[in-house]
Amino acid sequence: MFKQKFRNRHPYMFIAPAVTLLIIFSIIPITIAFFISFTDLDLKGLANWSNISWIGFDNYQNLFADDTFIKSIFNTLFYVVIGVPLVIICSLGIALMLNYGSNKLFSMFRSVYYMPSITNIIAVAVIWGYLYNTEYGLFNYILSLLSVENIPWLQEPTIAKISLIILAVWKGIGINMIIFLAALQGIPRAYYEAAKIDGANRIQTFFNVTLPLLRYATFFVTVTTLIGWMQFFEEPYVMTQGGPLDGTLSIALFIYQEGFQFSEFGYAAAGSFVLFIMIIIITLIQFKLRKSDTEY
Amino acid sequence: MRKWLVLTFIVALLALSACGNEEAAKKDSGNKDDEITVWAMGEEGKLLKQLTDKFEKDNKGLKVDVQAIPWDSAHDKLLTAVASGNGPDILQLGTTWVPEFAEAGALLDLTEYMEEHPEFAAENYFDGAAEIMQYDDQIVGIPWYVDTRVLYYRTDILEEAGYDKAPETWEELQDAAKKLADRGEGHYGIDIDQNDQIMPFIFAWQNGYEANLEESKLNFDTPEFLGAMEYYTSFFKEGSSQVEQGEDIIQAFANGKKPMFFSGPWMVNIINEQAPDIEGKWAPAVMPGNETNASSMGGATLSIFHNSENVENALKFLSYMNETETQLEWLDISNTLPSKLESWEDPILQDDPMYSVFGEQLKKAKAGLQTEQFERIAQELLSALERVNAGGADLEKEIEQFNKTAQDLLEE
Amino acid sequence: MASIHSTKGKTEKTLITVLMIIGGILVSIPFIWMITSAFKPESEALRIPPTILPENPTLDNFKHLFTELNFLVYLRNTLIIVAFSFVGLLFNGMAGYGFAKFAFKGREKIFYLVLATMMIPGQVTMIPVYLLLNGMGLTNTLPGIILPGLVAAFSIFLFRQFMGTIPTDLIEAARLDGAGEFYIFFRLIIPIAKPIFAVQGILAFIGAWNSFLWPLIIANDESLYTLSVGLSLLQGQYGNNFALQMAGAAFMVVPIIIIFAFFQKYIVEGFTMSGIK
Repeated sequence: MFKQKFRNRHPYMFIAPAVTLLIIFSIIPITIAFFISFTDLDLKGLANWSNISWIGFDNYQNLFADDTFIKSIFNTLFYVVIGVPLVIICSLGIALMLNYGSNKLFSMFRSVYYMPSITNIIAVAVIWGYLYNTEYGLFNYILSLLSVENIPWLQEPTIAKISLIILAVWKGIGINMIIFLAALQGIPRAYYEAAKIDGANRIQTFFNVTLPLLRYATFFVTVTTLIGWMQFFEEPYVMTQGGPLDGTLSIALFIYQEGFQFSEFGYAAAGSFVLFIMIIIITLIQFKLRKSDTEY
Repeated sequence: MRKWLVLTFIVALLALSACGNEEAAKKDSGNKDDEITVWAMGEEGKLLKQLTDKFEKDNKGLKVDVQAIPWDSAHDKLLTAVASGNGPDILQLGTTWVPEFAEAGALLDLTEYMEEHPEFAAENYFDGAAEIMQYDDQIVGIPWYVDTRVLYYRTDILEEAGYDKAPETWEELQDAAKKLADRGEGHYGIDIDQNDQIMPFIFAWQNGYEANLEESKLNFDTPEFLGAMEYYTSFFKEGSSQVEQGEDIIQAFANGKKPMFFSGPWMVNIINEQAPDIEGKWAPAVMPGNETNASSMGGATLSIFHNSENVENALKFLSYMNETETQLEWLDISNTLPSKLESWEDPILQDDPMYSVFGEQLKKAKAGLQTEQFERIAQELLSALERVNAGGADLEKEIEQFNKTAQDLLEE
Repeated sequence: MASIHSTKGKTEKTLITVLMIIGGILVSIPFIWMITSAFKPESEALRIPPTILPENPTLDNFKHLFTELNFLVYLRNTLIIVAFSFVGLLFNGMAGYGFAKFAFKGREKIFYLVLATMMIPGQVTMIPVYLLLNGMGLTNTLPGIILPGLVAAFSIFLFRQFMGTIPTDLIEAARLDGAGEFYIFFRLIIPIAKPIFAVQGILAFIGAWNSFLWPLIIANDESLYTLSVGLSLLQGQYGNNFALQMAGAAFMVVPIIIIFAFFQKYIVEGFTMSGIK
């Protein structure tokens, strides 16, 4: 009896340290930020709390009347819709390629493909800035050899978004690739052998054996990549600062500018809760879709 | 793997406890009246330590603890200090940040100490720097070092275009830029950094524009302001300046494709380091002007944090930093220009051809609008100008819209 | 993926190897540029078109780097944070296991709560977290730097996904043998889940090694700065010193490569090595 009770406590003991820390350093601060989103907190308010006043839904109303914010939502969705599938396909493809062989060369290239994600952001900005330079950039130089006219990689709002997506895909491959690699290694060889005996060809094996067995990893990669891309920030921050004409401004960058450049913390908090709710909805949809599949 | 984890855990614990002790020991000796804490930015923060030794020697018993903070993240760090009230005694602020933090009440008003410290009187500094010292009726900072935008130009290329000295008026600048841009494909007259927030204002001041903040009038609807913006955008319209982002400016300056640009004193070293080949073929010059040849006042001030418990000693340190001798030593260490007029009487600055240009320009340098909304207003203006330069929008309509937005921001 | 015996398999292997090498070189060019720029003089670092190999190689940047920084102090702080990140890793692993392999009241709700923490931009919670730490008296202390980033929802979620694939029978069998829950976790689960611990080990190391924000904000004293914070001090207000920054970046990345090379062995070792499934 006692032992039974004790056993029931186990799951809580396993999750307690992590969950406690998350509650203190994430949940409580998020709750505080939630309340901040209904106030006009700015630097003055931060210095002296008596300067803060409760303004209800004003921040939210202003947000949806703010063209820049609406534009940032549109841009963010653009990034997500194109970028997320690209990242997943590329990182899975590279993981499959690297998983093909197991000699020294292949293991060395695992590090090589991981390099983009550990390249210093300033180096990224300099090199990609050069690649994308309209006049002197490498991309336009190569295109000029094919007599294609100069492409304004970072100067035209839509093209600039695509340019940033390419950059972000390049940078985002590494981490997802190792997750897929780990998952691929978890697939027992026996399954492939069984498929072979059944006379399945490569493509059939991939779709009927590999993909289904990767679903835990794929689900994880999809959910986290979506969450990450909804908060798309670093690339426009270092490459374009949101320009040209706010064409690359993402919601997260908008929040950063409002909160940290202009010290409108209340407004920025409201913006982040709009983003928060969008992400929750998208994530819940994924979990619901996933439920139809057997989960645990 | 488990062993590995356990091992790291133990090592970490040991290391942490060792450090904890050290920290505790430090705390005991610190936080006393005899320790002055200073937050300074980036490289300056590291260099400043070279000056504190002498101060500590002259003031036995006092200790100056300088914490260097990276420029990029300084704003975040300052925010948390304001939020918690845990700040240093003295902090370095970039000129554009002063109004923002003064408005929040984070900077101690030094008015009551001015009598004791006549060395901080406004007339000791360049006018533009003295403007920055004040916010409303308070004195919130002591100018430390200053900088200002000037015109950098290639003497050899300008000479070929018929200018044996730098353009001095708006017409001359426009004419020179046009001629230089006509040299051929890929050549431009002048580089105007479209992300530089202060540049449009410099043109506006040169055209006689003034804001009237006391009556909350930004005056962006005046003909002076509009005229200046017309002038600014004309360089892009006429092809004298490149709209797209091209080569790095130093490189374009060195290869002659962009023989003129506006920038601050820090560029002198950068050009010398990155383009040693053009030594002797370039020079800084005072801004070409229209009504005036104004420029902007930049640099840094030293302020005392509002709840410093060590004001007397902090003032002592500020006073030391303000001495002409210290300012000149700092010039030598960090290559930044002194804020005090008296320092500029020194031959080092007087006789140097480059320094003297900056000295001349500094006399005509103005501070940005002293409102905490300035950064935002400037950003709005840049966006409006970008829409004109790159998007082909109508200037007058954009400026009218901008005036409305800016006025709203100010009144908020 | 498939055994290679036929000639068809051989050409295929060659093809994939070539593809891999070309792709690999292409994606790593910025990285290579970062490393080689560390050996360039400042005048060469920003040249267009960039030079891959330095024309006038120099070690000045590294000399500058090591003379300017309180190197040992920063390194010590960084290593402490790294060490603790592995404790955090253990917590994350435990939580991931808890969510994956136990049925308990509120499991779903708590898990969604955990996930929610990664859905809001970190900047928004920075000030509240700082005020909490300040209230706990943890400013200017190492725990204050370490605690906010110790556990991460991303990591818990990843553990949960992978541990979900471990057969429950195995755990039940161990329970029937009378093994305690923690014994099962340490002796059975961790060895099976080696690949995912390896992946997370790499991520935890990188995160801690590069930690920047909290060391900067919490420290009121440079004696608590980490290497990243120290390096960023070298950046001027007007963004010069590229070559020097690249030297810093190159220096920072070497340990990451070593750790990656070390841990990736375990990634490919696979679950199968333990003879399960």
